[in-house]
Amino acid sequence: MSTIRIRSPASYWLAVPAAAWMLGVVVVPIVLLVWVSFWGGRAFSMASPLTFDNYARFFANQTYLKLALSTIVHTATLMAVTGVLGYCIAYFLVMKVKSPGWRLALFLAFIVPFWTSTLIRAIAWVPFLGVNGVINQTLMYVGATQSPIEAFLYSRAGITMAQVSLYTMLAAGPVVYMLNAIAPQLREAAMTLKATPFVVFRRIVFPLTLPGVVIGQVLVFLNVMSDFATVATIGGNKHALLSNLVLLFYEGSQIRAASVVAVLLMLCMLVGVVVALRVVDIRRLGADR
Amino acid sequence: MDALAHDPVEDAAPGKARPPLDLELIDIRKRYGDFTAVDGVSLKVSKGQFVCLLGPSGCGKTTTLRCIAGLEEPDDGEILIGGKEATKDPPWQRDIAMMFQDFALFPHMTVAKQVGFGLEMLRRPKAEIARRVQHILKSFEIAVLADRKPASLSGGQRQRVALARAMITEPRILLLDEPIGALDYSLRETVMLELKLLQQRTGISFIWVTHDQNEAFSLGDLVVVMNHARIEQQGPPEEILQRPATAFVAGFVQGNNVFRGRVKELLAGALRIETPVGTFLVPRPLAAPPPMLGSEVSFSVRAEQITDAVFERHVNRLSAVCTAVEYFGAVRRHVFERSDGEVLKYDQFGAHAARIVPGLRLVLGWPAEAAVLHAGVGG
Repeated sequence: MSTIRIRSPASYWLAVPAAAWMLGVVVVPIVLLVWVSFWGGRAFSMASPLTFDNYARFFANQTYLKLALSTIVHTATLMAVTGVLGYCIAYFLVMKVKSPGWRLALFLAFIVPFWTSTLIRAIAWVPFLGVNGVINQTLMYVGATQSPIEAFLYSRAGITMAQVSLYTMLAAGPVVYMLNAIAPQLREAAMTLKATPFVVFRRIVFPLTLPGVVIGQVLVFLNVMSDFATVATIGGNKHALLSNLVLLFYEGSQIRAASVVAVLLMLCMLVGVVVALRVVDIRRLGADR
Repeated sequence: MDALAHDPVEDAAPGKARPPLDLELIDIRKRYGDFTAVDGVSLKVSKGQFVCLLGPSGCGKTTTLRCIAGLEEPDDGEILIGGKEATKDPPWQRDIAMMFQDFALFPHMTVAKQVGFGLEMLRRPKAEIARRVQHILKSFEIAVLADRKPASLSGGQRQRVALARAMITEPRILLLDEPIGALDYSLRETVMLELKLLQQRTGISFIWVTHDQNEAFSLGDLVVVMNHARIEQQGPPEEILQRPATAFVAGFVQGNNVFRGRVKELLAGALRIETPVGTFLVPRPLAAPPPMLGSEVSFSVRAEQITDAVFERHVNRLSAVCTAVEYFGAVRRHVFERSDGEVLKYDQFGAHAARIVPGLRLVLGWPAEAAVLHAGVGG
């Protein structure tokens, strides 16, 4: 077997296909998008003058700003819910399930739904949340409510429920990985130093899994910000987030407005990821253990 | 390392003549499914004793240690720490500290932070923690490392940090699980001596688990040899080296030649034992009743008790061929092949000139009193 040394010409040539692909499908489209978002005038042409008009128009509209704000609030809610839920699931899987068979079974139960597409999983929530859906039927059967609750489907609550189910494993996965990497002796050492289990968690386990939590939060953040399918399916036409606005403008052939929202959405994500990297340096992950 | 040389703790209750034992294990048992890890282990550790649990891997010594720490709960038996029942107590309520084999340093804490962790758990004031951490780091000669994280430390430095972290709370007992096994060989001897001196100065009982008999015999006031979940023999190092109680101990401890055979004749002060390589005289055990005529027994002779200058008093004799000579400095070991294919070791003082070469056939002998009869045919 031969090895390729760092900075040898071969290593650069090997990177060419991937680099060309990334350039073609990521970098060039983003540059075009940003360019189009600055187009002025009415004609759809490369000769359009560059102005800030499109952005000014977006920020002048109260409805759009409220939509942006509610997108951020919605995303923050989901990050909080999936973060706590995902950590609990991860902790349970790694620390509490001792039998390897059970662990595999539960792990598969969490993973298998991911073999279907996000859209189908989102649609699968409709029969659950509907007026005559599973949840309402159950609630009425138990006697918790007399008449069906309409607030589930086509509501913010319904969207949140569906997205929590879709993205909790994204928050849990990295935590599972980080928890697995913690040697049991660390917890035992803390216990022999008179730390109670809660203190062991707060001072040893949680700090060591923090990178996993942050990565999970980044994944959830990016996915929720860009998820228009779930919002459209579960929210009907009553609810929209920024990503739906892109679609709306696009379908209305308002390419410049669509570009503006897309660019703003990208900027939000960029800021989010930068903030996350401030908290945990993902590139240095695992270097100090 | 004089940070921990404090006054002896006055914990003997008034009216009691003697201070309680630091640790007492009464008939500890622990099973995992069908596997018995610890089987009826009883042990008494008096104040400030250095105890070594010695045995091959899987013999139950680490499980015993973990039971003392509270990291495992024994299925049966009692654990008394400082005379107080502690069998069901969780680790954080026991008056112990533990040093782990790979040191188990917290990767996200600086040296100063993790050395102070134990005091933090005891809710000591910040100023006191800072002062004591600084003091112990200085006395362990690691003060310059205070702000470093474990990943940037060498093996020897980590060992010191782990020791400082465990010792700072001044526990009654320090449990050490192969504490120097992860160190370079050249470092071990120095560290062993330091630890022994530290233990004597502080008066903290050490329970040291190891598979290395050099460690056990040079450090321990009391050596406990374990095999197959049981204690084979416990006593001071001299006793275990000079009078191995079982064939396993004799075979495990270096420098013993083990023979197996049948009792052929009961004499006044000795037994005549017939083995595949000859018939030998072995002194009768003083305490136990002598074995029955014809029963299977084993005995051992230490390699340095054998001689090739055979006189009348060397009543036990054996002819064998030398196959190898190993020179250790202090001793020169000659490996002979017995007629049954087993090995016979014969040690000479290393300063003497080499006389025996491989291939030479010699008659070796030893006096009757050099042999030690074992209790039962074990191992």
